Amino acid sequence: MPELNIVEKVIALEGVELLSSLTPEQLARIATIAHEEKFPPNRVIVDPAKPLDALYVIVDGAVELSRNGEVLHTAHQNEVLGAWALFEENDSMPVSARTVEDTRLLSIGRDDFYDLLADNSEITSAIFSTLVKRFRKLVEQ
Amino acid sequence: MTRFNALRRHLFDIRSGEHLRAWAMFSYLLFVLFAYYIVKPVSRAMFLTKFDIDKLPSLYILIAIFGGALAYLYSKLAAKTSLRNAVLWAMSLSVASLVVMWWFIRMRLPFMIYVLNIWVSLFSVVSVSQGWLVASNLFDTREAKRLYPLLGMGMVMGAAFGGEFTNRTAQLVGTENLLLASAFMVVLAYISFRLAIWRVAAPVVHARAAGETDTDFSFSELIRDIVRVRHLQIIVGMMVVMYLVDTLVEYQFQATARMDYTGDRLTAFFGQFYGIYLNGVEFLFQLFVTSLVVRWFGVGGTLQIAPIAVALSSIATVAAPGVTSASAVRLAEASTRYTLNKTGMELLYMPLPLELRNRIKAFIDICVDRLSRGVGGVLLVVLTTTSLNLGVKGIAIVVIGLCIPWMLLSYMARKEYVASVRRRLSSRRLDLQTTRVSVTDTATIRMLESAARSDNPRQAVYALELLADTDAYDMRPMLKDLSGSPLPEIRDKVYLVAARRRLDDLLETAMYEIRAAQAAGGAARAAVVYALALAPDRARLAEELLEDSNPLLVDAALEGIRSDRELAETLISKEWLDRMAAEEDPRKRALAAVAIGVRGDQGTEALHRLLQDADTTVAAAACRAAGILHNRSYLFAVVQALGNPRLRGDAITALAAFGPYITGVLAGFVWDEGMPLRVRRHIPRVLKRIPDQQSVDALLGLLKHPDLSVRAAVLKALNHIRLAAPELRFDSVFVTEQILGEARYYFELNAALAPFLEYRDGRRAASRLLARSIEQRLRESLERLFRLLGLRYPPREIYSAYLAVSRSHSGDSAAALEFLDSILERDLKRILLPLLDAPEHLLERGRELFGVEVKGAEEAIRDLIGCRDPWLVACAMAAAAELHLRNLATDIARAAAEAAEEVSEVARSAEAVLAA
Repeated sequence: MPELNIVEKVIALEGVELLSSLTPEQLARIATIAHEEKFPPNRVIVDPAKPLDALYVIVDGAVELSRNGEVLHTAHQNEVLGAWALFEENDSMPVSARTVEDTRLLSIGRDDFYDLLADNSEITSAIFSTLVKRFRKLVEQ
Repeated sequence: MTRFNALRRHLFDIRSGEHLRAWAMFSYLLFVLFAYYIVKPVSRAMFLTKFDIDKLPSLYILIAIFGGALAYLYSKLAAKTSLRNAVLWAMSLSVASLVVMWWFIRMRLPFMIYVLNIWVSLFSVVSVSQGWLVASNLFDTREAKRLYPLLGMGMVMGAAFGGEFTNRTAQLVGTENLLLASAFMVVLAYISFRLAIWRVAAPVVHARAAGETDTDFSFSELIRDIVRVRHLQIIVGMMVVMYLVDTLVEYQFQATARMDYTGDRLTAFFGQFYGIYLNGVEFLFQLFVTSLVVRWFGVGGTLQIAPIAVALSSIATVAAPGVTSASAVRLAEASTRYTLNKTGMELLYMPLPLELRNRIKAFIDICVDRLSRGVGGVLLVVLTTTSLNLGVKGIAIVVIGLCIPWMLLSYMARKEYVASVRRRLSSRRLDLQTTRVSVTDTATIRMLESAARSDNPRQAVYALELLADTDAYDMRPMLKDLSGSPLPEIRDKVYLVAARRRLDDLLETAMYEIRAAQAAGGAARAAVVYALALAPDRARLAEELLEDSNPLLVDAALEGIRSDRELAETLISKEWLDRMAAEEDPRKRALAAVAIGVRGDQGTEALHRLLQDADTTVAAAACRAAGILHNRSYLFAVVQALGNPRLRGDAITALAAFGPYITGVLAGFVWDEGMPLRVRRHIPRVLKRIPDQQSVDALLGLLKHPDLSVRAAVLKALNHIRLAAPELRFDSVFVTEQILGEARYYFELNAALAPFLEYRDGRRAASRLLARSIEQRLRESLERLFRLLGLRYPPREIYSAYLAVSRSHSGDSAAALEFLDSILERDLKRILLPLLDAPEHLLERGRELFGVEVKGAEEAIRDLIGCRDPWLVACAMAAAAELHLRNLATDIARAAAEAAEEVSEVARSAEAVLAA
């Protein structure tokens, strides 16, 4: 399977709620720091015992999320793992994530992400806007 | 067909969702005028047949007296009821009055002719005024500008049909029976009104002529509104002069007609004049002229045509008095009043707040109209029955004299109209200004002293700052007390204030603070600066501190001697600098950079190395030092620091400190392809910090840069300078060229988007992404357009207009467009207003203005693949692959050869798909 090009990466990133306020070109800048990773079935991607320092977007394949052996959800194409890991340093996810078939992911590392934000204030502002909207929604609930 | 549509739109631009409202209002005004033009010739012919012409001024005066009373009553009624009910009551009473008067006139009672004439003149004003009030509640400013000419045409057609109907049926059915026909037309007008308000928002249906709290407004309150609002004064002034002229011209016309005709011939003449000539001219004006005149000359220009036309035609009456010349004046006066002037006056109301407009409009229309005609009647009595004894010729000269203030007022109306629109726009901006407490009284000083001694460091520091600004206040006791505060923020402020006031009482405690300094510092830095400012042995103290192992004290010492260049050169040797610059501890290397900034770089090359230091705190300090020294040999290194987000702020400050003489070099760097783009796109941020003509010129030159992110940064910088230094020149010819270029780009992008609109929310991901990306480019282009406009027109108002237009709130957007319509030059208006105001006609306008044609998906993608926007190129290639457009394989390959790596990757994927 060929590597994803920048347009395909942007199409995958369009589904990430955290990035929903970004313009296509801003997503393209995020895409430049998004790395493609391929995993065979039954590979642990997220371990609750280890801190998570990246966000993952499922490009194709499926990932099973479980806690204490109980399967909570099977994530498929365009779903996101660890969206908030970008903002919480040395934090872990309360669930484990394991591939159930050949799976291709896009990963965005926290350090790369912050370097990009430092260089693109308009992206920072758009992400802030999404966070504020989400926060307001939670408060209203 | 296209030409026909364009012509139709030029004349009457009715848009989707407006048809029912527009046509129902058209019918409403048509039937009202139909009814009026039945009763008008009937009432006038009856009066002039029954009485002599010298009774006419007394009729005008009676109309004024009854008109004033009715205006007040109507205003009260309108304020207490909804507009819908006001119309219902007015129409019902009209129908009832017509039937009752018909019955009395059949009984041959002469006073009823007076009653009928008074009633007729009031009917026209109340019902027409109500009609326009309904219209102003149904349409916003922009809709009004497009649709009012159509409504005006409804009035003209109603008047023409009414006059002609009367002319042809009077002898058939009997003059008095026409009153019943008029009543029937009023019923039709009411049905049209109900259709017009059908399904419109509740606030429109229930609009009142005044709010609940204003239901008890009085005559004095209405006058106060007029006295308070200059805009209303001009409207009133124009109406007074206009109706004075109308009265004199009507008298001239009727007097000359009465001399030539009597009885049935007089009725026929009036019917022919009003029904055919006057309304024919009005119809042609409204159909072909009014809309174009409003568009080309604006509100002010439109209002000037009537006085000029009346003045010119009155010259003919002076030269050859008679029914022909008097008819010509009447024709010029009445036709322009009902078409150009009516439309212009209604537009003149639009910038006023809706509440004020509703409250005052009916009153002005009825009261000012009637009173002015009454004054006209008195004036006629004076002119014709006193020793003046003016004839038609003399009255014509008076009319010419009155036209002069009329022209002047219409000129003032134009200026006031623009000012009112601007005020309305600006009132939506909140300008927060910092305020400073003024410390003048004892109670305030006691309060501040108490706050300064509180445990809240923020409050205490602010209170100290305010007390220090009070010259007469003795700070010594307060500072001495607070120098022992456990809070370092307060001690820090104490030393700063003591240094500023040059109070040497705290030297001992300052030395204690310095000796006790730990790594964190407390207030040691401020204590060092204070001690080095006031200590008698400051040179020795500085020398000791420069050798201290605590970097914080060294830094403070450098700060303390910054203002004493001679001492700095003595104490900071080349050896000291080299030693510090070679230290492993980055804090000490940073101090070396700071020291070079303090003493200068004579005899040392250390700053070049420090600018390249891997540690960003060191490199940032070096940037700051370079900025202080203004040495161009550091320029390249500082510019490169713009590419590092952690150094960027210091680099910008440092470069700005170089001043105007590096603007040309900086602009050169922006064009330098060898310099990374992430560096180049931050250079405009430096230039904006140098508010100088050289920066403006350099930035204007950069507007032609091909990279969109650079252009956006350049425009932001130019807008910033325009606000900060409005006295600088922004080449208007060049900026206009850029505006037109940007507008053309907008139309081209819009045409490129057309074939992909169907994919915008579809499942074809690449095509959808392409559509979204083009839409984003359109939004960016719109922002650039407004930023460019901000370089030519008032920047704050343009920014407000941009916010209003881009947020698509209809009320704000209409006001913004109205503002642009008022201030833009005709060439710009012609291009920009269709772009902002008529999105559904954008493609058509693009074709008309720039010859931009809409293409099919394949051709559009081919164009995009060949464009200079890398992101659109990449999206277009992906869309071509998704839509299996094999014909584009060659174009993709050609574009990939010159593209950056990321775009080439997309091209390779697309080529693979197309080859499969």
